[in-house]
Amino acid sequence: MSAEHSGIAARVEALEGLLAQKGLIDVESVDRLIDHFTSDVGPLNGAKVIARAWVDAAFKQRLLDDGTKAVAEFGFGGPEGACLVTVENTPTVHNVVVCTLCSCYPWTVLGLPPGWYKSSAYRSRLVAQPRAVLREMGLDIQPEVIVRVWDSSAEARYFVLPMRPAGTAGMGEAELASLVTRDAMIGVARVEGPVA
Amino acid sequence: MKTFELLDAAGSAAPPRSNGELVFDAPWQQRAFGITMAVIDSGTTTWKDFRLQLISRVAEDDARPYWESWAAALEDVVTSAAMLTSAEIDRHEDALAQREAGHDHRRRE
Repeated sequence: MSAEHSGIAARVEALEGLLAQKGLIDVESVDRLIDHFTSDVGPLNGAKVIARAWVDAAFKQRLLDDGTKAVAEFGFGGPEGACLVTVENTPTVHNVVVCTLCSCYPWTVLGLPPGWYKSSAYRSRLVAQPRAVLREMGLDIQPEVIVRVWDSSAEARYFVLPMRPAGTAGMGEAELASLVTRDAMIGVARVEGPVA
Repeated sequence: MKTFELLDAAGSAAPPRSNGELVFDAPWQQRAFGITMAVIDSGTTTWKDFRLQLISRVAEDDARPYWESWAAALEDVVTSAAMLTSAEIDRHEDALAQREAGHDHRRRE
């Protein structure tokens, strides 16, 4: 069977069909798992960078000074990583990233952009109505917090350093990294603390 | 430990990645990956068992593309956990081939 690709595709389809028929797996959970692993695992690079910045003040400063150079310490780089700019969330400022012209995105730390990031609705509305768009995406920003929208381009690809959530004082870098999501690094979500 | 942390392991069992993103060249590779994770999720097999099968399939033929070894290892764990038999899979595959001749545009080689 290794000789032909169509043979393998049919074999895999047969496996999935039979397992589903017997109730051993369901097709929706296969879809959900694929989505989970392609969207949540890709940005693992960025999550490691964020976790390091949370525990190491000197690294955080390097990350804010020169994002490209700082992520290179992890071995993350390449042409798409050029001009990586880190913007830091604070109790008074919330940052969110868009590319109004196309879909510039910090691939080096976040993997490939999600579908909605490339949608014209997100690209055109985020600048005009950031709070409304964020609310629709499930993120309520208090009126007293300033929202800054960063328009990515070939010259500068922005990347959000989210606030470290409460209840994480005793955590190490790996555990902290597992809390950081792609959406939080784009700025359309917060990093949630550990579930009790 | 979460499954994705296990997946992050280096070595011959680690799936190919580009910039931290899992790399699939064809839809069947993605399905094979998703089915494997669903089978592990259901508790019928474990990542550890699957990984051992994958390592041995990769070792068996170094030139074989990674996801083909993955699909072979998936069939190994599914049959050894007695979820399905190879004969059943053969029959279902034949049935699909019959159906597909009249139902879609896939080119059979």
